[in-house]
Amino acid sequence: MGAIWTKKRSAHGDVVGILANPASGRDIRRLVAHSTVFPIAEKCNIVVRLLSALGATGVQQVLLVPDRGGIAARVRRIVAAQGSQERWPEVVFLDMPVEDGPMDTVRGAEKMSAAGVGAIVVLGGDGTQRLAASACGDVPLMALSTGTNNVFPELREPTIAGLATGLVATGQVSVAAATVRNKVLRLEINGVPQELAVVDVSVSDHRWVGSKALWRPDTLDQIFVAFADPDAIGLSSVAGLLRSVSRRAAYGLRVDLSPPGRAPLTLTCPIAPGLMMPVGIEGVCEIQVGEVQNLRLTEGVIALDGERELSFTSDLRLTVRLDALGPFTIDVDYVMARAARDGLLVVRPPVGEATGGKLWN
Amino acid sequence: MELSVDHLRKAYRTMRLIRGFEERLHVEFATGEISGFVHLYAGEEAIATGVLLLLDDRDKITSTHRGHGHCLAKGCDVYGMMDEIYGRKTGLCAGKGGSMHIADLTKGMLGANGIVGGGPPLACGAALAAKRLGTGGIAIAFVGDGGANQGTFLESLNLASIWTLPCVFVIENNGYAEATSCKYAGACDDFADRANGFNMPGVTADGHDFFAVHEAASEAIRRAREGGGPSLLEFKVNRYFGHYEGDTQAYRAPAEVEKIRAARDCIHDFASKVISAQLLKQAELESIDREVKALIDDAVRKAKAAPRPERVDLLTDVYDSY
Repeated sequence: MGAIWTKKRSAHGDVVGILANPASGRDIRRLVAHSTVFPIAEKCNIVVRLLSALGATGVQQVLLVPDRGGIAARVRRIVAAQGSQERWPEVVFLDMPVEDGPMDTVRGAEKMSAAGVGAIVVLGGDGTQRLAASACGDVPLMALSTGTNNVFPELREPTIAGLATGLVATGQVSVAAATVRNKVLRLEINGVPQELAVVDVSVSDHRWVGSKALWRPDTLDQIFVAFADPDAIGLSSVAGLLRSVSRRAAYGLRVDLSPPGRAPLTLTCPIAPGLMMPVGIEGVCEIQVGEVQNLRLTEGVIALDGERELSFTSDLRLTVRLDALGPFTIDVDYVMARAARDGLLVVRPPVGEATGGKLWN
Repeated sequence: MELSVDHLRKAYRTMRLIRGFEERLHVEFATGEISGFVHLYAGEEAIATGVLLLLDDRDKITSTHRGHGHCLAKGCDVYGMMDEIYGRKTGLCAGKGGSMHIADLTKGMLGANGIVGGGPPLACGAALAAKRLGTGGIAIAFVGDGGANQGTFLESLNLASIWTLPCVFVIENNGYAEATSCKYAGACDDFADRANGFNMPGVTADGHDFFAVHEAASEAIRRAREGGGPSLLEFKVNRYFGHYEGDTQAYRAPAEVEKIRAARDCIHDFASKVISAQLLKQAELESIDREVKALIDDAVRKAKAAPRPERVDLLTDVYDSY
């Protein structure tokens, strides 16, 4: 196998992190909707496809988080058994405690960022992406979908996502040109930022966090979205079906809800895979970057990116604020177009051998 | 099912009753007065309570060797259970079953089971009966992570699926099949993944969280009652004691249990949530604690004083007569 044509590399760009959440894609929406099960074996398969692509772009090392969910163990076995013709990066597992919970993703992103990785690939749904975004700093994310409702991450072939990530991490395509900055919603308690959401913050009259997923719109009072796609799945689809708001627009939306039948408008919305529900719309308005939004309910549950995270009572003052300074994400279309235009994946012939003949007639 | 304040009060009492019952047995077993083995359910209370709060008298359950919690949550009499564990004639099974074979058909409790994976086929039978007789009832099969690797369990998933039985399979994955880690013994990482192969939904949830358990079980039970067929629920949990009383637990990491008790206590978690939500008061919970303790003290005292089966009882109650 010939060497890949490489251009300049950044100081730390030969290292990429992969955050793969073992728990994503297996919550109660398998029972109340028709969501896909994302087994551990498939997540490992995705990691392998990423390793193959990252290695082909010159990435030397990949950092992974340890876990007890089975991904780390399987990847170790696969790496140990890889064929000699494979040119995978060295795989290193971070030295960190494992809690089998959300903190594993947060801690992993922090450690990868501190280690100076050139990019972090995140496998999970919106909830996993949210956790990674809260701790990755300015390191660009490659958000890949292995969850239930996937609005923030892309449904991409991991091999292509790995190539794009590798080309950015190794400096063959500049970070500035290849990434976009996303908006986030900040949840503030008594004026202090506590959590963020990469897609939506929803306010429900549920009392309990329970099984976390939120699939009953009749419990919802408000939805705040950082962006809204009409073809989205999940709670942000409510906003998307009212008005499309791009990821780059300088505003988001707030949708106030009331029961279908009593509301001026009722929409049929894809709340989860295979689950269409009526949603009563009382009103919708733009929210500007920096604008503080108060909640209508004084007690209930806050869902971040579709997952109930926090129950609150009237002794807490909760507000939501749209922030333009969210995580950077890699624009795969742009990077791969540059790869084609600039010949970034052209195989360099061995020294002394002539290059090929004329290609275009 | 929406949880009323009465439901919350009942749930707390049930969890506290199970915990108190098991912690008392832990002490009493060491005195040598209890014959046979006991396998304690402490730490896993949220599962039995969260699931069985949703059942009624039409419904049947099958349990495991770690069955005290299921019995109590299904409404079995505390005195009858304690007598049974002490091997007394006044026990639920006339003192001949002991801890691992407690059953009370009048409560729909088809039995703890000394055979690992022995319950699921029985639950399929109960679910088939409910379906054919149109009772509206369902069946729940509890198994552990060890039981989930048994052929009987997998055959039952298949049978329940092809007959669209009103049956819910609940895996209480406490991480160890006796002393063997489920990471070693299971070819899958989440047992809920196996549901896919049997054409039924499978969900994994936190078995320490009463509300997560209750919500997942509520949906699975609703689905079963409405004719949607079986579901598989896997609850990740930890047990506070060994596999059996006397187990040295050399297979567990140093201080593992202490850390789990400090960080993952379903009763403490439940109490803090309902108090924070201003639905129950601390004083009310403490009152329940006192009532439960007095009940268990009395049950132990009476069990110790109750008569044992006599020689003439040897061949009675061995088989049910149909």
